[in-house]
Amino acid sequence: MPGLLDAAVLLIPLMTGMAAGYLTRGRKIFNFKKVVSVAILLLIFSLGFSIGSNTELLIVMPKVGLYAIVLLTMALFFSTLFVKAARKLVKI
Amino acid sequence: MMKYILPTLALGILAGYLNNSFGSSPLNTIFSEHVFNFSLIALLFLMGLLFAADKQSMAQIRKARLKILLFPLVVALGSLLGGLVGGVILRIDILAAMGVCAGYGWYTLAGPLVGQLFGLEWGALAFIVNFLRELFTIVATAIVVKVDKYAPIAMGGATTMDTTLPVIMHYCGQDTLIIAFSSGFTLTIAAPFTITGLSLIAH
Repeated sequence: MPGLLDAAVLLIPLMTGMAAGYLTRGRKIFNFKKVVSVAILLLIFSLGFSIGSNTELLIVMPKVGLYAIVLLTMALFFSTLFVKAARKLVKI
Repeated sequence: MMKYILPTLALGILAGYLNNSFGSSPLNTIFSEHVFNFSLIALLFLMGLLFAADKQSMAQIRKARLKILLFPLVVALGSLLGGLVGGVILRIDILAAMGVCAGYGWYTLAGPLVGQLFGLEWGALAFIVNFLRELFTIVATAIVVKVDKYAPIAMGGATTMDTTLPVIMHYCGQDTLIIAFSSGFTLTIAAPFTITGLSLIAH
């Protein structure tokens, strides 16, 4: 399944970053906060770009809107509730 | 930061829409693939770096150990229960509604897979529900984090290993990296199996 392979590939930059962070631990490193913010906005812009250029998605959106909102609200509500309960249970 | 997120997203959607309206140009590939992948990889690298450079974050994960595996499990159960309750409320096929929610936010998988196993209209619904899940997590994390530090991880589902990870780490703290990533990773692996499993029960 190509999707799963793509997901596994994401481990590479994360692990490399962790190794770099581990090696530079304790040393004063460059403040990356601004770079992170710019990269987040770049990611969100390109995500928006691919949504806007997906005409099929834009057409089908209003038709199934209500069903989608109800299902999504329920899924988010119970996921959050369960995580809150689990945190209390195992004390994280 | 939060005040820039929504306008940036809206600007991106508008730019993509206009670009598509005036004939497809290479800009689509540049933004949807190259810029997207580049910023994602750069962010994951930086997140890893910031996390490992912080002694406290590592110590907290060591303390939590196997408990972190509980997160994806309860997020999956919550999403499935959400599908069940939503299906009952809307009076639609309950197993298909659960299948729609079992994408855990991974819309590029859930759309086609649910479409193939339950029918095209369910595929469209799965695409939108999971797509909105990702979008909502990006936009609402700054607010939801006030309810519970880990609530955005629950909302993000499978997307907390990539697209929503930077936003979650930004608002929930660097120590949430491992929990968010491992939860997203586990749910990403679980999504195709859960959807296929539900369709086997349905037929």
